[in-house]
Amino acid sequence: MSVSDETLMAYADGEVDEATRAIIEAAMRENPEVRRRIAEHRALREAMQGAFSAVLDEPVPQRLIDAARGQTAAPAGGHVVDLAAARRAAAGPAPGRLRSWQPAAMAASVLVGVALGYVGWHNAKPLVTTGSSGELLAGAGLAEALSNQLSEDRSPGLAAITGLSFRAKTGDYCRTFSLTGSHGSSGLACHESDGWKIKVLTQSPPAASSSSNFRPAASADPPAVRAAVEESINGEPLDRAGEIAARQGNWSASSGR
Amino acid sequence: MSTNERTETVQEQIVALLPRLRRFARNLVRAPHDADDMVQIAVERALLRLDQWHSDARLDSWLFKILRNAWIDEVRSRARRAKLFMPEEAGEHVGEASMEREIDRLSVEAAMARLPQDQRLAVSLVLVEGLAYKDAADVLDLPIGTLTSRLARGREALALMLRLPEGDFL
Repeated sequence: MSVSDETLMAYADGEVDEATRAIIEAAMRENPEVRRRIAEHRALREAMQGAFSAVLDEPVPQRLIDAARGQTAAPAGGHVVDLAAARRAAAGPAPGRLRSWQPAAMAASVLVGVALGYVGWHNAKPLVTTGSSGELLAGAGLAEALSNQLSEDRSPGLAAITGLSFRAKTGDYCRTFSLTGSHGSSGLACHESDGWKIKVLTQSPPAASSSSNFRPAASADPPAVRAAVEESINGEPLDRAGEIAARQGNWSASSGR
Repeated sequence: MSTNERTETVQEQIVALLPRLRRFARNLVRAPHDADDMVQIAVERALLRLDQWHSDARLDSWLFKILRNAWIDEVRSRARRAKLFMPEEAGEHVGEASMEREIDRLSVEAAMARLPQDQRLAVSLVLVEGLAYKDAADVLDLPIGTLTSRLARGREALALMLRLPEGDFL
């Protein structure tokens, strides 16, 4: 009995009819070589599936989920500030959008406050509110995220994603964030004595939705946010352990000193 | 079910298939971000053509086919920027892989990247995505015999590169 390797391959893939299957299984009983070859085909199949399965466990970028739901004006994908990119961006000319910024009354801060008249809502928890003197504050939804989430947290369903955490020159802890869903807004918030204050809030550039061009591979927070980080950061951004320590101290400026 | 409800149902099915679409795209395009761009293009195209999909057909095969066709369009329109994509000539080096290679994640990916494109697509759809020969042949617009021989050659090349004993006739 001679069975071609292509037929053994089809058997290993479950692609043969009943008659052929009976022939091959008879050959397997008689011939260890047939058994070995089928085992090899199966091993290769398993190796291929194992090698490429990691992507299945990755979080799917929000822009793809939005695209599948027909929401093509999705925010751009990445939310993590690349500090090197921030430094490059800060060294370059500011984008035209910066001209429309309105300085807010935050004298104690070295940061430029930005109010775009934007208030985001998520599950009836306000993401952004305004204080008594008109300054922007993190609402309950955003404050929860800023106080509790670590920067690696990309679980689905989060109202906001935190990017980079750092200690500012003022001594306050600051974090960049992106609001998820269709808001497409990103910003920088710092924890001051009375809670998280929003220093920068800006609309993310819309994702290119046409097939005409690829975007650059590196995506990051908008230039306005990166520039604000660069301007205010003292030292290096916090690593995971640093974030956990800051969280334990409730992001208080006096903790960790 | 209304048309809107049907559309929303299919949209959620597409969302559920996104991880597999991303995996297939990464066997077409090397850089993950570019692969995701291909997925986005394909999904947008699919939504425009939802009326062409019949619910008795497999949604995954249909989406793979749109993705594969979108990729071919991109390759054609961007042929001069070929380095973005898997270099086709890499397939000519099949069999020259390191003799010390072991079967692990990286080496399987490296071996896969060295396959000629037609074999890589057949292997990706059948061995990685688990499509039946008939469905994979349909995605690639091939007769099933051609699909089978590409799959066999791709497997043989992979076995060589991964130092599995090469297959031949009994």
